[in-house]
Amino acid sequence: MALLEVRNLVKCHGDKTVLDGVSFELEEGEAKVIMGPSGCGKSTLLRCLNLLNEPTSGEIWFDGEDVTRPGVDVRALRSRIGFVFQNFALYRHMSVLDNVALALRRLKKLPTREAEERALEELHRMEMADKRDAYPAALSGGQSQRVAIARALAMDPKVLFFDEPTSALDPIMVREVVTLINRLYLDNVTILCVTHDLSLARHISDRVVFLDRGKVHAEDRIEHLLERNDEVIDEFFGGEG
Amino acid sequence: MQLAAFPFFADLATYWPQIAKGLRDTILLSVTITVTGLIGGIGVFGLSLSSKRIVRYVTQSYVSLFIGTPLIVFLFLLYYGLPNLGVKLSPFVIAVLGFTLNVSAYNARYLTIAYKGLDQAELESARAQGFSQFQVFRLITAPQSLRTSVPALTNQAIQNVKDSSIVFLIQYIEFFAQMQEVASRTFLFFKTYVFTALVYLVLVSVVVLAARRVERKLAIPGLA
Repeated sequence: MALLEVRNLVKCHGDKTVLDGVSFELEEGEAKVIMGPSGCGKSTLLRCLNLLNEPTSGEIWFDGEDVTRPGVDVRALRSRIGFVFQNFALYRHMSVLDNVALALRRLKKLPTREAEERALEELHRMEMADKRDAYPAALSGGQSQRVAIARALAMDPKVLFFDEPTSALDPIMVREVVTLINRLYLDNVTILCVTHDLSLARHISDRVVFLDRGKVHAEDRIEHLLERNDEVIDEFFGGEG
Repeated sequence: MQLAAFPFFADLATYWPQIAKGLRDTILLSVTITVTGLIGGIGVFGLSLSSKRIVRYVTQSYVSLFIGTPLIVFLFLLYYGLPNLGVKLSPFVIAVLGFTLNVSAYNARYLTIAYKGLDQAELESARAQGFSQFQVFRLITAPQSLRTSVPALTNQAIQNVKDSSIVFLIQYIEFFAQMQEVASRTFLFFKTYVFTALVYLVLVSVVVLAARRVERKLAIPGLA
């Protein structure tokens, strides 16, 4: 059974249908990329999957459980999904170490020392341990991204969501993040990544879900998508293939 | 403080015990209303972010009511009005109550302005991690809003010291009321009120110095 299964997901904002019957699956250990033109509903989809946005209808099965049923423990679900935001969203009044340790202390209820040791492990993994006492304002975009990933991984999530992980970075940092996400993938971390970055998609993904106007337009390996003679996909990639 | 050491004010020295008592009562009231107003302000601010529309509406109405009406009206309402309902409170309690209601509304407004400047992605990120709405408020929203609104909250504390002088109108005999009495007894109006102004200036300067230390201590590194 897939780790994540989305069945006919619909999300409306007022009269506007943002997601219109989206279905796809994500297997454990898989890295899947969601791509599509601006406004196609990529980020909304990601937010629906951990119920930051409430879906209008449809089902989301996560780890064998229907998380769209009434009475589901939303907070428990979210703590099992790591979410790395587009602009990193680090808590700017906390040091790097506190950013990573906060949820371990407050949600996993680990004693402070244990939480900090666990946080340091993840910071080491992201090569950011030497910045443990720094504050987010003193970090570069790439460093912030690493801390955000360490923060998400510290909770030992079943899956890691990335929302446009390279959009706020310069080309050198983009390469760093691509390498980093690729390393996570090789470490068997399950990844679902929303991006418009073809290079990122090529390096990390097994398959791409291509959204257009709230619907799954196509799902395939990226090289197969690029080989298709499809007007919507060609227009999006602009001949980059 | 020995008034005799300042020849210009030597005439007031006889009244030192009375002046000291007034000063003590002014400091007591100012400190009390600054603390209760801050706690009240954080509470009202928290309620203004409630997911329930009715709670938000009530807190917004509360803030508008107290910012939009003079404090003295509420002090008089409590002092002269409550006895009509059979409730009689001491002038100090009424002063604390009236000021707390008023200052809480202002502090809540300052915190709301600071909140609007927060990076909403941080709050969304905290929710995405699994924090409850209250945890997000306590761990992210309140600390950041408080830290960025220290200058406004400090101004309010200064205002509290200065505004505390109006409570003589509800028979709470604080520093200003004592000085009025000294002036009317000695007929040294000029000296008495120059001295009064200087004492308020010293009190406010102490608050400003303390506030600068707090501001430096609470500044978020790397952010202006």
